[in-house]
Amino acid sequence: MVKARNIGNELKALVVVCIMILIGQWIGYGIKPWQAIPGIILILVISQVSLIIKAALPRVKFPAFAWASLIALVLSMPFMPTATWFLAQTGQVNFLGTTTCILAFAGISVGAKINTLKKLSWKVFIVAIFVFLGTFFGSAVIAQIVLKIQGLI
Amino acid sequence: MSDSQAKTTAELIETKGKWGSFIKLYLVVLVIVIVTEIIGIIKIKVGPGSIVLLPMLYAVVIGILITPDVLGKVIRPLRKLISMPEVEIAGSLVMISLLPLGVKYGTLVGPNIVKIVTAGPAFLLQELGNLFTIFLALPIALLLGMQREAVGATVSICREPTLGVIGERYGISSAEGTGVLGTYLMGTIFGTIFFGLLGSVAVFTGLHPYALAMASGIGSASMMTASSSALAETVPAMKDTILAYAATSNMLTGVTGMYSVIFLGLPLVNWLYKVFTRKKQGAE
Repeated sequence: MVKARNIGNELKALVVVCIMILIGQWIGYGIKPWQAIPGIILILVISQVSLIIKAALPRVKFPAFAWASLIALVLSMPFMPTATWFLAQTGQVNFLGTTTCILAFAGISVGAKINTLKKLSWKVFIVAIFVFLGTFFGSAVIAQIVLKIQGLI
Repeated sequence: MSDSQAKTTAELIETKGKWGSFIKLYLVVLVIVIVTEIIGIIKIKVGPGSIVLLPMLYAVVIGILITPDVLGKVIRPLRKLISMPEVEIAGSLVMISLLPLGVKYGTLVGPNIVKIVTAGPAFLLQELGNLFTIFLALPIALLLGMQREAVGATVSICREPTLGVIGERYGISSAEGTGVLGTYLMGTIFGTIFFGLLGSVAVFTGLHPYALAMASGIGSASMMTASSSALAETVPAMKDTILAYAATSNMLTGVTGMYSVIFLGLPLVNWLYKVFTRKKQGAE
């Protein structure tokens, strides 16, 4: 359900995150914050809209992250009249610049799970590494073969 | 499923009465962002290529280190800054802070949409590649002496949809549930670090960066980002296509992942489990 109270809280968090992105990319990539303001506002609005869509459609199991991508995808397709302007503005927001604070939050959030991890056996550690490798290279090998057959690589 | 889900995201990001925790958390994360961006991208030359270390990698490591059960245990004042309430809030802020990145991914996929549709067959078929993990990891889990835990631990990369499927089929406190939780937890804690390194090292295998980009979409936005950004920085000439392919593949895994576990992964892992354990009994 869409609730004004939740939107307010989400918006507060999004504003802080966007400010961190502006500061981070200023330091990391030399993009001056005022240059990126229109772009970051667009990103903020789309982010908030995707949260609202997710709350409004609880039966559709599509995460807000995917909604955000989908909206931006549609706005930036080559035949869309919005594409040039939208890409020029959001282009002022660096891709890598948006990742640092996510991973900082992710790292801190893991803190709650460290004690559970200690209870796991060392075997889980080894098995998990092979699960990661198997998933990754299984997909990569098939993709390699199909892309080759299609003549795309 | 996990403890943090006892409270909903809406409750967790409610600022009322928790301003102190929010301000502390935001300041700490801002400092992490500033420090990691000052360090910047580090490229280590290795033979013909290089290993790329991105600020996000340092951010996740610093984040883990400053939690109450790690450095907080040794450095007491740290606990005043980051304790359990802040850790809880951080969990829900991951979802929020992912959204701007989601928008950026959309802007990478959109302009390349024709290119991506052309590569459709590769996208769809490589989803099946996720099943390869069963053939690789299940024998290893059994060799290490795991039993039914192995079925849960190796059925897939064990992100949330798999956790749900196994939880429903066997119960999360069953042996299979213990297994799936183990891999899930490993992924949550070490996944971004592991894939952040793998993304750039994988180029050495000789597989094409586009194929590796598709493989990066394993159904976790943060792991996909870690892997594909490292890959993109390693092969900068192909950057845009790499990121667009990875994002598309990840979206696809998000849609197909759960069905793949139910209809393909679980039957396959159970069949293979029977084959291996029967052989073992026969040998004894």
